[in-house]
Amino acid sequence: MKNYKKFAESIISSYAGIFFVDRYFVGFLLLILSFINPNIGISGLLCVISSYIFAKFLGMHEQFLSSGFYTYNPLLVGLSIGYLFKFNLLTLFLVSISGIITFLLTFSLVSVLYQYLKLPVLSLPFVVVSCIVYLASSQYSNLFINGFYPQTPIFEWVNKLPLWFVGLTRALGAIVFLPNVISGFIILLAIFFVSRILFFLAVTGYFAGTLTIAAFTGSFVQAFSNVNSFNFILIAMALGGVFLIPNVKSYSISIIAVVSSSIFLYAIEKIWYQYGVPVFTLPFNIASMMFLYVLGLLNFPLITKFYRGTPEKTLDHYLTYNSRFPGTYRTLSLPFSGEWTVWQGINGKWTHKGAWMYAIDFVITDENGKTYSGDEKIIDNYYCFRKPILSPARGRVVKIINDIEDNPVGTVNKDNNWGNLILIYDERGFYVLICHLLKGSIRVKEGDWVERGRILALCGNSGYSPQPHIHIHVQLTNNIGAPTVPFSFIQYIDSNNRYHSNDIPKENQRLAPLFTDKVMDFKMSFLLDEQMEFELEKGGTKVKDVKLSVKMDSSGEFYLESGNGRLYFTKWEGTFYVNRIEGKVEPELKAIFLALPRLPLTYRQGMEWDDCIPTHLVLNGVRKDITLLKNYLYLSNCAVRGTYKFTSDSEIAGYIEPCNIKTHTVLHETKGFSKIEVAFKETKITLRRCENG
Amino acid sequence: MNNTIYEKPIIKKLQTGFMNKFGTGVFKRIRKDIDGVAIDRLVEQFGSPLFVFSEKKLRGNYRKLYNAFSNRYPNVLFGWSYKTNYLDAICSTLHQEGAIAEVVSEYEYRKAKRLGIDGKNIIYNGPFKTIESLKEAAEDGAMINIDHFEEIQDLENVAKELNKKIKAGIRVNMDTGIVPQWSRFGFNIESGQAFDAVKRISYGGHLILNGLHCHIGTFILEPNAYSQEVKKMVEFAYKVEDEFGYKIEYLDIGGGFPSKNRLKGVYLPPEVVVPSIDEFAEAVCDTLLENLRPNDFPKLILETGRAIVDEAGYLITTVHAIKRLPDGTRSYIIDAGVNILFTSFWYKFNIEMDREVSGTAEPSVIYGPLCMNIDVIDESVNLPPLERGTRLIISPVGAYNVTQWMQFIMYRPSVCIISEKGEPLLIREKEDLEDITKLEILPEEYELKK
Repeated sequence: MKNYKKFAESIISSYAGIFFVDRYFVGFLLLILSFINPNIGISGLLCVISSYIFAKFLGMHEQFLSSGFYTYNPLLVGLSIGYLFKFNLLTLFLVSISGIITFLLTFSLVSVLYQYLKLPVLSLPFVVVSCIVYLASSQYSNLFINGFYPQTPIFEWVNKLPLWFVGLTRALGAIVFLPNVISGFIILLAIFFVSRILFFLAVTGYFAGTLTIAAFTGSFVQAFSNVNSFNFILIAMALGGVFLIPNVKSYSISIIAVVSSSIFLYAIEKIWYQYGVPVFTLPFNIASMMFLYVLGLLNFPLITKFYRGTPEKTLDHYLTYNSRFPGTYRTLSLPFSGEWTVWQGINGKWTHKGAWMYAIDFVITDENGKTYSGDEKIIDNYYCFRKPILSPARGRVVKIINDIEDNPVGTVNKDNNWGNLILIYDERGFYVLICHLLKGSIRVKEGDWVERGRILALCGNSGYSPQPHIHIHVQLTNNIGAPTVPFSFIQYIDSNNRYHSNDIPKENQRLAPLFTDKVMDFKMSFLLDEQMEFELEKGGTKVKDVKLSVKMDSSGEFYLESGNGRLYFTKWEGTFYVNRIEGKVEPELKAIFLALPRLPLTYRQGMEWDDCIPTHLVLNGVRKDITLLKNYLYLSNCAVRGTYKFTSDSEIAGYIEPCNIKTHTVLHETKGFSKIEVAFKETKITLRRCENG
Repeated sequence: MNNTIYEKPIIKKLQTGFMNKFGTGVFKRIRKDIDGVAIDRLVEQFGSPLFVFSEKKLRGNYRKLYNAFSNRYPNVLFGWSYKTNYLDAICSTLHQEGAIAEVVSEYEYRKAKRLGIDGKNIIYNGPFKTIESLKEAAEDGAMINIDHFEEIQDLENVAKELNKKIKAGIRVNMDTGIVPQWSRFGFNIESGQAFDAVKRISYGGHLILNGLHCHIGTFILEPNAYSQEVKKMVEFAYKVEDEFGYKIEYLDIGGGFPSKNRLKGVYLPPEVVVPSIDEFAEAVCDTLLENLRPNDFPKLILETGRAIVDEAGYLITTVHAIKRLPDGTRSYIIDAGVNILFTSFWYKFNIEMDREVSGTAEPSVIYGPLCMNIDVIDESVNLPPLERGTRLIISPVGAYNVTQWMQFIMYRPSVCIISEKGEPLLIREKEDLEDITKLEILPEEYELKK
């Protein structure tokens, strides 16, 4: 039974995928719409099913298929064949073969395009296969072509509608081979319901393209009646909302792409029509791929990495993710103990430039910002001089230099820029360099294995160093002076008592490293199949019993399961994170997310941290749209920010500002938490641990 | 016209020509103000004698000490040793700097709580903890360090009564190569007593051992003793963790770091004898980092008292009388004695004058105001002839004096602090008759008839 459901879902997903959304009802709607013309409906459905079964037959994994990603091209091919040929047993055969060919082509193109050009396949396989079938069919006289006859009844009232409206809706309908006003209008409504961003893009894209055509051809009638202008709609949606993060800049790019594609459109039409083949979505594919390829080469920052089903969700995820995780995957711990100050940051004003811009210099300062006490000429007066330097990474020492004299204060050694140094190879595939160490102070040997926090040497003043300090950077090769790459520090606290779980320190920031507290770490170490029992109260009265159990999914991610919801979490580099909720948003899972989106696995009195809460968890309807709209105009802002603070070593108070939600968490003595309280404006949810649980 | 008072002539040995490496021996130490506030103004406002604390110095010392350790080990916590100085204003200042409270009696425990310190931020040490206070501390979640077997029993009873498992540490003592060895507190490591205590705790099942505490002595001048202490504690901690499954969350190494004060009988000045705090910090932290297992950074707790507060305290006194002793030695009687200067028994203080005084300096004795033979502040200090009313500023006196002072013969004086803004603020009123007599009860039959 479960298999059939999955199968149906995959098929329906491929319908919705045509319009870049993941809602089943959209897919279902399109499926039903396609049966307005049973020829098209049956042919489309058959084509998908044949490719699906073939893919399964070859042993393709369920997960790849269920997204509809590999099957919407066969669907389009099926629709196009249904549009051209009258359905009979022979067409059934043709459709099934085409489905298989399309799947094969999709799969090969996906791998080629992605591996070599980092490009999505879009609907290129559909264009190729449909063209081939159309071309071949001119020789197949045994097939009954009915594409030359009107396929839907023509109503008189359509002529009374404004030309632009008829054009827009027909173009939309044409995407699924239903070029009529009614289908197009229903699709337009569905798009509006699912995503206002896509709706906006579809409409503006359409008009931008047709107005360009009108300008060139001098005829609005011709422009609005060109059914191929659905390409404009697709380009606008793909670039403005799907493959780029929705934003004013992405919109501008999408409009420029639409305008320029109008030239492709007519050029292709001119050639293709000679062979009796429609342009299909070729202009869309060419324009979108060209733009995406160039943007990719330029490392355009707004390229979507995870598409979450609709542009709105993607934007929410992008904003949340960016402000939740500002760091990198090259994570180091601070290479010292106690509070130090960033003297020169990344891309700094003195030496951190060009290839060496990703580097940070540290000194110790007092409350007046001075780096020494007493006489500034005496090196011993510098606070950081002779202070221990701890290993920032876990790895092998590959190079040390230990015999360069320390400079007197105010002078530098230009011959040996880096001074005394230690180069450590981190097993994740990069090298960490620490330099300007004290002569003769290095306590490790080349080849030694070091753990984080192990004492390596003392801070000195060797190399290009006018005053005692240390320099740290990450590089990808083992030669001294290699170009630097981005990195970030984990687990530190700044002078405002604020915790940073993985972040890049700014110039003049004072910060101190923290190391994981074993007891806290154990508290948040959940084992597979471990269960915790709670009672859920709403407004003081018990609503239900809750049983949270720890599970792992096939990609290796852990989650807490309750009812039909899954709360994904990770424990990474000294911080416990709640990542997302999948499935049904059960109130207990939502409460945990709101109260404990992250937890430092180390306690400092009064330590604070903040986190970004996904907008859809706390807001809905129009308010959510407005908040998101406000935020995607200023991409850097996090829409819903929660602030959390240790009120004792086992209690955390939280406040989610824009919604006035107060949370209170009590950690359990040994494992997990014993109470979570979330006070919304109207009601209060309490999750209380049952003692035997 | 102001006639000089007649003094009987004496013969004084003239010292000339002999240079010695410590200078000529005539130290003219003048102090006209403390943190910019004139001595005269302080006395005028609060009277003499007067204890004066410098907030600047107090915070400065704290930060210097804290940074010396925190820049060498990443998980350091200071516990302010209440017995060193438990004036509210002093404790509050240090709590503001981030120190938690370290107390050794029910009285100190209550005093810390009264100041607003959460029980979780109180370390409860000492050999005498009442059952009542143990119960309170356990309920508050205080860090209790057990001193003896009877206390294990007491705390287990409390755990049973409260029906919960109580986290606690134990105090240990050991040979660190110095004498005297403070073996009367806690459980001895070398004899196996400490291990027995852990066994006993584990067997009882009501307590969870989560810390070790030790304090090797006071005014220790040998950093290596701390290396030994830390090494033995880490070794013991891992033995306990491996054999009993407890997690030792903190290593409390106590205090005992010296201040820049001169001990009696030590010839060289403290600047030479007393190692810098960096040397102590290096000894402790290096040993820790080298002996701890990878990725294990238990909390290092320090209960340093004297090294933080001693140099922040001054005592202003006034010369009351001048007397030539029969052997010709000049002596002075001042208004503060051993009743309020408990540390004078082992310290040779730094004594400064509030004004320039001309005349040859000669060894003089300074007596306190008590009618007791033992009341001597300094048996021999080089001073020029002082007039009555000259103020002598005695330092460092910030540690132990304002907790161990006695109400004996005299009232105890006022205490003030000079804030960082340079404003003198009163932090303890001087006593009056009412303060002392209000606790007394005179039964009717003893009342004097008029």
